[in-house]
Amino acid sequence: MSVTFARVEPSIAGVGDYIALMKPRVMSLVVFTALVGLVVAPGHVHPVIGFVALLCITVGAGAAGALNMWYDADIDARMARTAARPIPRGRVTPGEAAGFGFTLATFAVVTLGLLVNVLAAALLAFTIFFYVAIYTMWLKRSTPQNIVIGGAAGALPPMIGWAAATGSLAIEPVLLFLIIFFWTPPHFWALSLYRSEDYARAGIPMLPVVAGAAETRRQILLYTLILAPLGVAPWLLGYAGPVYGAAAVLIGGVLIALALRVCREREGHRASRQLFGFSILYLFLLFAMLLIDRLPGALFGHFA
Amino acid sequence: MSTVTDAMSEQQRQPKPQPQGIKLTEQQLRARRARSIAIALALGAFVIVIFAVTMVKLGSGALSGADTMRPVQTTK
Repeated sequence: MSVTFARVEPSIAGVGDYIALMKPRVMSLVVFTALVGLVVAPGHVHPVIGFVALLCITVGAGAAGALNMWYDADIDARMARTAARPIPRGRVTPGEAAGFGFTLATFAVVTLGLLVNVLAAALLAFTIFFYVAIYTMWLKRSTPQNIVIGGAAGALPPMIGWAAATGSLAIEPVLLFLIIFFWTPPHFWALSLYRSEDYARAGIPMLPVVAGAAETRRQILLYTLILAPLGVAPWLLGYAGPVYGAAAVLIGGVLIALALRVCREREGHRASRQLFGFSILYLFLLFAMLLIDRLPGALFGHFA
Repeated sequence: MSTVTDAMSEQQRQPKPQPQGIKLTEQQLRARRARSIAIALALGAFVIVIFAVTMVKLGSGALSGADTMRPVQTTK
């Protein structure tokens, strides 16, 4: 009987490869939406505690990204958009990515629990679990509703920010959750319309692959029609001022107009690309307006 | 007997083969050094975070421990 061992080469992974594992672009959106959740929450948070909360949420999001890349290395290698990620390129081994992800996730959750509060830590742990186990391991490869349900993971950061500030939850952070939850499908389906061949090659059942482009366009419009009023809701419910309300109505209108153009588009993907690009700007502007609306109060509350 | 001893001492005189081990390339050494520095910085940052939060949580009382040791004044 002979035993053979796989030859393990010493790692050539640099710091940049580990940063890439954490999906910095996703992380930036997470940290921004969590910051808004933290700032719009009532009461006062000490800046150091607020900073630590944001740091833990950011590291937790990075950990989830690394664990996603660890599990999805096989399909990442088959898609042009993701083939240059550290694991498919051979810069980081799957084991290294898993170890990195689990270590960061543990540190982020435990630190948030010990230094900020247990509710925020529990929500962060749930978010990481949902993104890795529910979305990555289960839904992504099995249903075209993958990004609809999985979008909950990306929608939770403002709730974690709110929980970090107050130690409780309320209707307002749930509203922020709903905005990101209903924003995710039109955003990703706009992308998948012009990347459907990539997804089909990797065997991922995205909506355009399974149900076709026409149905995807219809669903994009449907979700956008729900999203635009939700974006205005913080003003309608009295959580934000009229400047926010006017901005939300304006950019919501642009988003609906772009979704209608996607619906009418028969050739090419110009409208889909425009909708994808504008959807990022839409979410950023919406949350930035909320931040601007509340920042003076938060600052004066602190210095009063 | 002496023949056996001679053979053993002869064996001991022979230079022992050095273990080959893994020789890291220049690129691997550079990558390892960069990773080590990043881990050191991350640990340093973690220590600073814990220190800062400890100071915030203890508040101003952290630096005036002597005051807290005073016996409580009671009025009769």
